[in-house]
Amino acid sequence: MKKKKWSWFPHQIETFHHVRNGSDVVVFAPTGAGKTLTGFINPIDDLIKLKKFKGLHTLYISPLKSLANDIVRNLEKPIKELDLNISFQVRTGDTTPYKKQKQKQKPPNILITTPESLALLNSYENAKEFFHNLKYIIIDEIHTFLDNKRADLLSLNIERLQTFTPNLQRIGLSATLKNKQDAKKWLCRKKPKIVSYENSVLPKIKILESKERIPWSGHMATYSINEIYKEIMKSKLTIIFVNTRAQAEYMFKNLWLINKKKLKIAVHHGSLEKNLRLKVENNLSKGLFDCVVATSSLELGLDYGDVEKIIQVGAPKGINRLLQRVGRSNHNLNTPSKAILVPTNRFEFIEAKAAIEEIKKNNLDKIDLKKGSFDVVAQHIFATACAGQFDSNDLYKEIIKAYPYKNLKFNDFKALINLIQDGGYVLKNYDQFKRIFQLRENKNIYKLVNKRETRKYRMNVGTIIENPMLKIKLGTKTLGNIEEVFIQNLSQGDSFIFAGQVLEFQSMKNNLVQVKRSKSLISKIPSYSGGRMPLSTNLANSVRALISKSNMWDLYPEQITEWLKRQKNISKIPKKDEYLVEQFPRKKNFYTVIYTFVGWHANQTLGFLLLRGFKEFNYKPLGFVANDYAIILWSLKEVKEIKTILNLGLLDKHLDNYLEETSIVKRLFRDNAIISCLIERRLPGMEKTGKQVLFSSDLIYTVLKKNEPDHILLKSSYEDAKKNMIDYDRLREILKKIDKKIILKKLTSISPLAVPIILEINRENLSKKETDEYILEDLENEILKEANVLSIN
Amino acid sequence: MYYQLINFGNEEFHAYSNKSLYCKRLNTLIVSDLHIGKSISYAKNKQFLPPYDTKEILNKIFVSLDKIKPSNLIIVGDLLHDVFSTLSINDQDYKNLSRYMKNTDFIWIKGNHDKNIQIEGFKNFTNYKIEKFLFTHIPTETSLFQICGHYHPKVKIVHRGKTIFKTCFVHNEKIFILPSFGILTGGLDINSKEISDVLGKKNLNIYPVGQDKVYKL
Repeated sequence: MKKKKWSWFPHQIETFHHVRNGSDVVVFAPTGAGKTLTGFINPIDDLIKLKKFKGLHTLYISPLKSLANDIVRNLEKPIKELDLNISFQVRTGDTTPYKKQKQKQKPPNILITTPESLALLNSYENAKEFFHNLKYIIIDEIHTFLDNKRADLLSLNIERLQTFTPNLQRIGLSATLKNKQDAKKWLCRKKPKIVSYENSVLPKIKILESKERIPWSGHMATYSINEIYKEIMKSKLTIIFVNTRAQAEYMFKNLWLINKKKLKIAVHHGSLEKNLRLKVENNLSKGLFDCVVATSSLELGLDYGDVEKIIQVGAPKGINRLLQRVGRSNHNLNTPSKAILVPTNRFEFIEAKAAIEEIKKNNLDKIDLKKGSFDVVAQHIFATACAGQFDSNDLYKEIIKAYPYKNLKFNDFKALINLIQDGGYVLKNYDQFKRIFQLRENKNIYKLVNKRETRKYRMNVGTIIENPMLKIKLGTKTLGNIEEVFIQNLSQGDSFIFAGQVLEFQSMKNNLVQVKRSKSLISKIPSYSGGRMPLSTNLANSVRALISKSNMWDLYPEQITEWLKRQKNISKIPKKDEYLVEQFPRKKNFYTVIYTFVGWHANQTLGFLLLRGFKEFNYKPLGFVANDYAIILWSLKEVKEIKTILNLGLLDKHLDNYLEETSIVKRLFRDNAIISCLIERRLPGMEKTGKQVLFSSDLIYTVLKKNEPDHILLKSSYEDAKKNMIDYDRLREILKKIDKKIILKKLTSISPLAVPIILEINRENLSKKETDEYILEDLENEILKEANVLSIN
Repeated sequence: MYYQLINFGNEEFHAYSNKSLYCKRLNTLIVSDLHIGKSISYAKNKQFLPPYDTKEILNKIFVSLDKIKPSNLIIVGDLLHDVFSTLSINDQDYKNLSRYMKNTDFIWIKGNHDKNIQIEGFKNFTNYKIEKFLFTHIPTETSLFQICGHYHPKVKIVHRGKTIFKTCFVHNEKIFILPSFGILTGGLDINSKEISDVLGKKNLNIYPVGQDKVYKL
């Protein structure tokens, strides 16, 4: 194969040799460096040598269905050019049952699939035979799912394949990462090797030079819309990346309002109907647009031809993410990518600047590998039982080979088997209704009670749980999905923006939302919960360092320089390792602002803990607001002992309380119950059959918590919360040393640095439980008042 | 115990946040749709809900009986989820039940879920009449004031930009529907066709159930 007419990148040759010598390899390379092909060199070379190999030889795992289709298109070319007799096919959730059946009877040499489809394949009784000739597994874009439950699921299934075919070799393909060793540990077992290719051509990234005033707070970049429009006009094809779906709709609408030149602009995000998205993607690759506004939905994937420029609106949030996005332009290694950052407020300006500095230094983000989640193991146990009877000791040994589960305790594993068996309740059980049972002659062997259960597993496979969504219909055409919560807040006749159109809500029937076009100028924008991107630790540190460098300020726009200088005069600019705390009175209340720069999740947690701490000291706290950079708390009394309160003890003392009151664990319990197959996933169409909601995970949670607080699913939800929702480790790290580094400033009024966060005070800061009672009480009072007035009249 | 006063059929009722209803003059406590043993009947289809619902529901009942000491307890249907449900009632539960039955008449109106099931000590009825009130699972054709269950009503409340759903007591002039007394039972929107067909859409009196009190809208 090497003799042919291609020229090879050095990393491709290096990979080829390592793999040929029997190594598992992770390849790190930027987009445009032939990464996908790198994975396929050895398999194709091998297949050529084997001549007319029958059966499955190589498995290729892609994080996205759409990417899987792209890969096929990309493989076609070299295989045709070389006139090779190699078969390859895609298998995803979109593959027809007929085709899937065919694939099982006569597998292709190369199968391109997703983690979920692999899990399904492994749950079939003949899985071992199906995979027995497998030589390679290639994991593409491995960096995109190393830190979530999909990676857990994948890791378990790779180990299963390795059990089937001990000679299996693993090849991982990744964008450049800081902690390459971690990715290696996750994937490689045999003579682990890293191959790395760094791009010497740096992208050209600048911040939009705006004549307008950069707002204090907010996230919509309305101020810069005209300047963004001018930038679009300058380039042949621009992708505007935003951070949320709501921002995407809003940006698109605003561009449309000023689109005097009739530019072709489109919008693309994950809630749009698949056909609409495909249409945008196709037209994009044909170069038919001038501009596409997109969320992370367009971050991955192959070339979109002639994208000349990337505009990132809003904070970059992480170096890797920004690089990935910037890399979407000029998919060619020798010419630099071009990007413009548009900060939507002042802190974001600093963040954008910091990101550019870090990219110059090639200082990338780490991906934090996390301990594997319990619920995914439960699902895997169920899958294993579907494939046939199994020995629990063997299964345990196999599972702990997977990196995320190397420390899984046998007791927890056993509890998860019990969970699948009959719910795993200790105090009371369902002996007569088990799903899997132990053989009498050997208690280690488990067997599925009946075949019907396999169907239930297959309906529930996967780790991605979406919020309840409703389909939006314009006439008979489906536009996409919208969160049920958003629709519940609408009344008939309300208008909102979706898929770039202003729509009027007409009715909801059978979980279809019927809409018509509207000319209304006032419209709501659907928000999607849980879409908050975390600020990377790396970038946060960089922001902190940059603010403290006052010699750099003069390079900033005047308004930013002014802002920082005034802060320096009135209060203080914290040094790189200092934590500034400001306190001042305002409108009868007493305010405390803490600049932590640890990201929203950690700040939100800290804010709540401080609220508790303040209560203990009888400062009568009233509320708090957090953003990525700081927390602001307000109280009736002056907070005198902030240094005493702000330390590690705060976390240890109040954390459980926090998780309880904010229903964080309750929310995660729903995901856990579904992933572990305790309750069935609500699939589209199922709603129609049942008139009532049969039971909710909230009710199950409440009953379980009361009766069996040590249940494995509660433990699992609690650990998920610590891992993902509250940034426990990051917070702990900071609180360990914070008390010595606090710089306390008592002020007579608000400081310039505090203005952006004080403007964010407008939301309720009550837990769901409290909110419900508050709403009921308030409404009742209003009605009573109304009734009194009526009776007096 | 805090209660909400409700006037229905010119009679005073007390609605409690544990989802029971009490008429003082008749010294009668009313509950509905307990669905005892729902968890066990799901377990036979391999949906393993926590098996503690029966225990909790019975305890809730016993607490109420201790406090109120009514002469009648009327269950307006669906005491049990299905024929398997009795499996989840243990010997101790039966003992407790018969102890309470000494002072209180247990009047069990049969619902669609528990038509053909018997439990010792319960008096079975398809419906039950006291003065101008008819206690029945699903409303029927009658000129009497009806007190029923079956629908598990909940109300959608949109207030100050927030939407919440709350279990509720609801009645019109002639028909009163109780919320479900169960632990793992969901609810049905009072605006749904099923409930509108029974109560209509206008002049409804709605009492959402909060944490520790029953509100009035």
